[in-house]
Amino acid sequence: MKIIKNALKEGRTVLSEHESKSVLAYYQIPVSREILVDNTETLMEALQEIGYPAVLKGCSSEISHKTEKGLIYLDIRNENEARNAFDKITKDIGGLKGSVLVQEMIKGQRELVIGLTRDPQFGPCVMFGLGGIFTEILKDISFRLAPLEKRDALEMMQDIKAHKILDAIRGMEPADKDMLVDILIKVGKIGLENEEVKEIDINPVILSGSKPVAADALIILEKPNV
Amino acid sequence: MKKFFYPSSMVVFGVADNPRNLAKNILSNCKNMGFSGKLYAVGKKPGTVHGLNIVDNPNDLPKGIDLAVILVPARYVTETIEVCGKKEIRRVIISTGGFRELGDESSDIEKDLLFAARKYDIRFIGPNCIGIICTDSKICTPFTPMQYARFKKGTASLIVQSGGVTTQSAYHFSDEHIGFSKIISAGNKLNITELDLIKYLIDDKDTEQIHLYLESIEDGRELIRLAKSSNKPVIIFKSNVSHAASQIAKSHTAALSNNDKIVGGAFKQAGIIRAKNIQDLTIAARALKLPPLKGNRLVAISLSGGFSVILGDACESYGFECPALPRELMEKIEDFRRGGVIRMSNPMDFGDIHDIKALVFTLERCLALNYIDGLILSFMYEPEMAKMFGDGIGSPEQILRFFKKICQDTNKPIALSFFSVREYIEEFKRINTFPVFNDSVESVRAMWMLREYWRLRKG
Repeated sequence: MKIIKNALKEGRTVLSEHESKSVLAYYQIPVSREILVDNTETLMEALQEIGYPAVLKGCSSEISHKTEKGLIYLDIRNENEARNAFDKITKDIGGLKGSVLVQEMIKGQRELVIGLTRDPQFGPCVMFGLGGIFTEILKDISFRLAPLEKRDALEMMQDIKAHKILDAIRGMEPADKDMLVDILIKVGKIGLENEEVKEIDINPVILSGSKPVAADALIILEKPNV
Repeated sequence: MKKFFYPSSMVVFGVADNPRNLAKNILSNCKNMGFSGKLYAVGKKPGTVHGLNIVDNPNDLPKGIDLAVILVPARYVTETIEVCGKKEIRRVIISTGGFRELGDESSDIEKDLLFAARKYDIRFIGPNCIGIICTDSKICTPFTPMQYARFKKGTASLIVQSGGVTTQSAYHFSDEHIGFSKIISAGNKLNITELDLIKYLIDDKDTEQIHLYLESIEDGRELIRLAKSSNKPVIIFKSNVSHAASQIAKSHTAALSNNDKIVGGAFKQAGIIRAKNIQDLTIAARALKLPPLKGNRLVAISLSGGFSVILGDACESYGFECPALPRELMEKIEDFRRGGVIRMSNPMDFGDIHDIKALVFTLERCLALNYIDGLILSFMYEPEMAKMFGDGIGSPEQILRFFKKICQDTNKPIALSFFSVREYIEEFKRINTFPVFNDSVESVRAMWMLREYWRLRKG
């Protein structure tokens, strides 16, 4: 893929959030609508397009922990808030190469994680689990080797302790399991078809109603063995 | 590969006529167990061990011996491989330790060893292992004296990465009356790996189940592919999952620690049953002799109220359902009660029923229900009571034959355990015509393993 090749050519092994999502979108994995901007003029155009509430994020392949660095502004409701957030982000990323990502605010209370890791013994393995802040705290995750069959994907969702989060709970719709299966299979496919992809971290995958959407993503590359 | 297990001749390198020599135990183990092939001993000095002359000049060996076992210091292993090559020996077990398990993985000594083996087209098991025990050919290559008379023949075969776990598994499978066909201690897996051994066992006619103890997995993808292709159940006890264990494993069999959650997921994908310890392997071995368990719905029966409660808890914790049974059937069973005090449900407390006919009736009727997939029974055994039962199911042999027949007729499993004196339970296990589990909770775990096996099988 071009995005991957370019990044490697530039000597980078990390794709920015926007680049990572472009890879996902290429494989038809649903991602949040978003536009990359680098001045207030394009910011306003982007807000028109995306609408409110919006999310503004610092976006650079040199930044990985956006939350810790205070580079995410959620629930932006008007131009004023947007301008403020934009100014703060551009100030904070300072000298780093980067821009600001204007994103639709995905509404949903349930956050999942879907990922890929290239294991030295088992090759590309797809991960599924509880997302957001719970990924690290609870480590409620499961793995399957790529390529995944539908039943593997269904089973790995059932494997996590919190699998009931996918059911109709507390008035929420049940998760669209067919869509989740499809995403899991495709993430495995990315790993199989792109040797340079070392890790994928889609966290969170937010359940917007029943539909999963990749709200943030990170792809790590490695140079292929020559 | 077959001649590793069925050699018609075997030579041991590193034998000496002194009490501290270990290699000579390999010869006595084989002889004592009843290995009928021709044996040779090679050592530095002439002498006699176990009635064999030690050959001090390997040139005197005949050509083309089927198998060599090498237990000489690590620095002499490569030259011993050269000797084997020149003597047209193509199969070797290298028992010697002191290779990658001691440090630098790519030690020169290993490279030399692999180079020499390739040069002469030699395949070898090990190094750092105790080789093979086969209850059929009676080959027994561990270098410590074995209690060979305890080994029991069976249809399970085991591939084990550690020597100590190899001998313990041989004893434990025998003591549990499951027995084994072949046990292979694979050691550092430098040339022949668990994958080669699995391939052999998949085709071995005496092997019905393949059990493994692994500390490391080098080629996970191939392991998964092989397990998927196997019609024989594959059960793996994978250790080295913690940080602490991986420190020992590094100095043990040069194991790399695999991400345990990846291993767990991969095993499920391949239909591999994962065991927690050696005892767990034996539970799986017994469970897999039962007819298939094709669903989650069980009837649990005990002749004790307490054990029916225990069974109920265990069933729930393993994700089994104990569905309500037809009231009409319950009433018929209730008619057999003595005191008329216990209302029948599922799990079923048979404490008030002392009539074997009632039990037969209940088992047959429950297993005939199309929404019941299997049955768990915690039975009481007391010889005097059994005589009262009469009706051709008074003796342990008759009791087991009876359960076997019901399982065969219905093609549904019964996981059977007894509450009784330990020696009676052992007696049932010894008869071994139908699986008997050590206690009620173990019988539920057995059903879970059986369920996993049939659930995970693809196609």
